[in-house]
Amino acid sequence: MSKVTTMKKAIADHVRDGDFLFIGGYICRTPFAAIHEIIRQGKKDLTITRSNAADDFDMLIGAGMVKRFIATFLSLGFHGLGRCYRRSLEQGIPRKIEVEEYTNLSLPMMLLAGSLGMPFVPVRDMAGSDLMNVKSFLGDNKYKVIDSPFDGRPTVLVPALRPDLAIIHVQQADENGNAQIWGIGGDCQVGANASQKVIVCCERLVDREVIGKDPSRTIVPDFKVVAVVEEPFGAHPGYTPGFYDVDFTFGNLYKEASGTVDGFQKFLEEWVLGIPNRTKYIEHYIQKMGYAAYKNLQAKFDFGYPVSYSY
Amino acid sequence: MTEHANDYIKPELMACCGAREILDHNLVLVGTGFPTMSANIARYTHAPNARLMQESGVYDAQPKRPALSVGDPCLNPGAAMIGGLVEIMGQFLQAGWVDIGFLSGSQVDKFGNINTTVIGDYEHPKSRLPGSGGANPIGSLAKKILIIALHDTRRLTEKVDFITTPGYIDGPGAREKVGLPPNTGPEVIITNKAVLRFDKSTGEAYLATYHPDTTVDEVVKNTPWKLNVADDVHETEPPRVEEIRALHEILDPNRMIRLYLTRGYV
Repeated sequence: MSKVTTMKKAIADHVRDGDFLFIGGYICRTPFAAIHEIIRQGKKDLTITRSNAADDFDMLIGAGMVKRFIATFLSLGFHGLGRCYRRSLEQGIPRKIEVEEYTNLSLPMMLLAGSLGMPFVPVRDMAGSDLMNVKSFLGDNKYKVIDSPFDGRPTVLVPALRPDLAIIHVQQADENGNAQIWGIGGDCQVGANASQKVIVCCERLVDREVIGKDPSRTIVPDFKVVAVVEEPFGAHPGYTPGFYDVDFTFGNLYKEASGTVDGFQKFLEEWVLGIPNRTKYIEHYIQKMGYAAYKNLQAKFDFGYPVSYSY
Repeated sequence: MTEHANDYIKPELMACCGAREILDHNLVLVGTGFPTMSANIARYTHAPNARLMQESGVYDAQPKRPALSVGDPCLNPGAAMIGGLVEIMGQFLQAGWVDIGFLSGSQVDKFGNINTTVIGDYEHPKSRLPGSGGANPIGSLAKKILIIALHDTRRLTEKVDFITTPGYIDGPGAREKVGLPPNTGPEVIITNKAVLRFDKSTGEAYLATYHPDTTVDEVVKNTPWKLNVADDVHETEPPRVEEIRALHEILDPNRMIRLYLTRGYV
């Protein structure tokens, strides 16, 4: 049975207040269409996680949707520090979120452990740093240090993560949710598979037969997927390899707008709250930024050899 | 005789200092900016078999322009391998394959500890910074760490507000004691004024070379701890002609590195 639905219905049906969400992406394939819909529906008290968070997490925090953040990093990359993140932690605006801090090794390993059904995982980082001296909502369960039962060496253990729901953006998926990506992976594969269920947003819906022409690209199998949403341009202002480039102009626009509470609110009104869906978002983008700007983001093509699995 | 270039800016000199730390066949885990420039200069000069990787999942990228982030689209086409964080940070870094890691920090102290988390008190931050990201594992697990920093008495400090990434922590043996791999740690701090190296017997950074437009006194004055000076302290070797040629003709023809001038790297 097809799981294809609208973003509005996918978020309404599967995101509950207080849920623990893994949100995939690494500038590459950020699920921005879903982020906007979560804000429109006012889902609240969320716990969110991903390694190397960026503008999407900053926006969720600024919009007041977030209670807790299992973090490694949050910045706007080229555009500097996350303004909403700073306001939250420095001034409690709109609320002071609780942050549990790990690293870009330990957090992916915690998601990997979750995806493997393991209770915890040993890691070689964090030791000797102040990351060991700050604990938030996980308390003493943030980590444990043991002498390895094998060689006696001090070893840091971190807990497995099993988010309630993963939201990922991919290049293509079939109607049941077999999801395929190419390009920079970040922690998308482990995060999706650590989660109890997955919402797949894709640039294009394809037949199951197309998935079968290159099944090695599939990162999440359909049985984990609860909803599939086709959202072209859905990762903008992030990028999707083979579809469109990262939008530096828009990134700068967000940086400038989010510099003040007022500017951020106006940005939300214009680009999120006042826009019903992704189609209207694209229309608004073209109207505001010009068709040339939209067209310039579209990817060029440079195909390799087609793969064959036949025998 | 080695010929040196005249037409360079300070960030380019710093990138060359980084390049010279890289040996042929080294595996280098890089961020954006100087690190990528350095590693690529090395590849185009003395270390053609050095290979780069980015934590986001990329190995041996062939970008057509300087990458603006470790997730930059230009890292995808042409790479030898693309996976994710588990591959790069787990299978390659944690497993001990990475020879060189490049880091920069808002605050760096005399033991090479780096702070990218918070200025002020953690619970009540004066300025909240991005956090570790890949910095802590790179600083913990790469065999050699190269640190890029601005040289003033605010960025360099006796003691960082928060150790995001351990250098020699509080002295020799401290890394090993907490379980970090033996014989790892910071090798050098490359600043806009000087190259500092580490005395392995104390874990402290000392002045090795000062850049062409500065002096030992100026470097010492702008360093907030009692900076030891090497017996053989001398001027930093300026960029070589072939290093600058690689930068200007191949790696950064639009001189995007000028961006660092506006960030104080002068």
